[in-house]
Amino acid sequence: MPSNASNSSGLQRLIAQLAPLLIVSALVFALPVLLNNDFLLNKVARYLVLGILTISLGLSWGFGGILNLGQAMSFGLGSYAMAMALKLKTVPVHTGASGLPDFMVWNNVQHLPWFWEPFRSLSFAIAAGLIVPALVAAALGWFMFRGRVTGVYVSIITLATMVVINLVIIDQQSYTGGFNGITDLAQLELFGVAFDAYGRATYYLVAGCVLLSLLVAFAFTKSRAGLIVQAIRDHESRVRYFGYDVALYQIFVFALSAAIAGLAGMLYTVVMEFASPTFLGVQLSLSVVVWCAVGGRQSLVGAFLGAVLVAGMQGALSESAAFLETWTLVMGALFVLVVLFLPKGLAGLAQSTWRWVAQRRQAAGGAVARGVSQTEGST
Amino acid sequence: MNSHLDLRDVSVSFNGFKALNSLNMSVRKGELRCLIGPNGAGKTTALDIICGKVKPSAGSVSFDGTALQELEEYEIARAGVGRKFQVPSVFRELSVSDNLEVARARRTSVFGNLRWSIGNAARNDIERLAELVGLTEQLDRPAAYLSHGQTQWLEIGMLVAQDAELILMDEPTAGMTAQETRKTAELFVRLKGKHTLIVVEHDMGFVKAIGDIISVMHMGQMLAEGTAAEVEAHPEVRRAYLGSGGISHA
Repeated sequence: MPSNASNSSGLQRLIAQLAPLLIVSALVFALPVLLNNDFLLNKVARYLVLGILTISLGLSWGFGGILNLGQAMSFGLGSYAMAMALKLKTVPVHTGASGLPDFMVWNNVQHLPWFWEPFRSLSFAIAAGLIVPALVAAALGWFMFRGRVTGVYVSIITLATMVVINLVIIDQQSYTGGFNGITDLAQLELFGVAFDAYGRATYYLVAGCVLLSLLVAFAFTKSRAGLIVQAIRDHESRVRYFGYDVALYQIFVFALSAAIAGLAGMLYTVVMEFASPTFLGVQLSLSVVVWCAVGGRQSLVGAFLGAVLVAGMQGALSESAAFLETWTLVMGALFVLVVLFLPKGLAGLAQSTWRWVAQRRQAAGGAVARGVSQTEGST
Repeated sequence: MNSHLDLRDVSVSFNGFKALNSLNMSVRKGELRCLIGPNGAGKTTALDIICGKVKPSAGSVSFDGTALQELEEYEIARAGVGRKFQVPSVFRELSVSDNLEVARARRTSVFGNLRWSIGNAARNDIERLAELVGLTEQLDRPAAYLSHGQTQWLEIGMLVAQDAELILMDEPTAGMTAQETRKTAELFVRLKGKHTLIVVEHDMGFVKAIGDIISVMHMGQMLAEGTAAEVEAHPEVRRAYLGSGGISHA
């Protein structure tokens, strides 16, 4: 009997933990009903994509204890994978032989480079958008975590790696579009549906990916491997003495996080209609850290909402002249305040408020419950 | 030699300081061995060598014929060695039951652990373990909220959960009340036989309550081995403890 009781309470707890996730996803799906403005919906879709990116950082930072300052690297790689495929599908205007992208023509490239060829297939591009970031992260993780690099050094290495890839992309203009990125893309078409950046279909595609990312990340954190990853965050060396190969767990969560960031990057290209080196820039990458901290890095929904709210606020405020210049100051102040007063972010605040309310309710109903249990005990 | 664990001429030095100097020690299967010695004798370092935290600069550690000094820490743990640290080392942000679940390392591969349900057998196991170490009421609380003594108990419970063949305990009763210490002694006596234990302790009362054979270390070497009475009568042991009022007051 006791095991049954703990089973049902475990199920209840699972439902309670899933509730915020499902409520937020439902709101995301319901938004187009309330907001009948395609321009605004496109903007919101952008923030949602940044939310997915922040979920991915929450997974590696909040749960794995790996502060990846180069999270935008995976995002950018995903974004370029999608942009390369969509570029090859554009109606040729200035293109050379067999649809050579326009910027290659301007740079006197005669033939499509070998690594562009497979991107004629959209399925390949989508797979690459997930797998390439994951593989790059796994390779980087292999060197870092096998070598027992921890803490601030991980942050420095990830940031530096991102900057290097960013510079390579800018430098190799004839293959990557350089500073301008890859622009003038075709619309994404999947299963006969065309995803116009300003259309409902794109919004729902993004919303679906929000739900998917939240569920995948949630499922991982609830798995036994997710538990071990959290144990590693708390006390890395202790986990080794239980027989777990710590580096493999770190590499896994690092790569999973990169794959989700890659998914976000692909969506970003669809929503923005271009790919740019700024997508793997330092500024975006550090912003993600702030969003994640503000929302609550140990809560997936918190990290997501942190990004949507802060990035949304940034979007709204930077339209007024007063905040255009001072926005970074606001952002910095916000980060300092959260670190000082809300170490668990908005999610932590929500949790402690919820617990406080529950305790008060329990205190009110406690007297009755105690009476009942006493009568049960006496029978 | 038909011993379970065998340290042969193990030496380690830290910046020129010889923490272990040709240490030899053999432990039989199922034995409960107490390791004592004055501060700086190298007791903790000896445990560090066995569990792989420190690599020996010379000598060998063999455990059922496996050369442990060549393995990584996690491989040594998989070979059946568990370790409790002097400073209680638990996962502070995880609940007590999650701590025990991590310690129940039946599968260790990443992909083998991509499962959700831990199953009824596992849950019963955890409840039984919590009862054993008196933490039933705390199962759902984060380990960070436990008292020092409770944290010690949790780590002992985690070692039982790990079910290692050889358990290394570094000052398991530090910070415990007299009653808690007695309970720990009872538990250790129960573990003996099924597991092999090496316990580093300062509390002679505790050592006498649990130990069959006591090994005394001094200056990184094995000074004496024998029963409590034999060790206390040993002239060199008396000399090593000179000034601290004899072994019983160390």
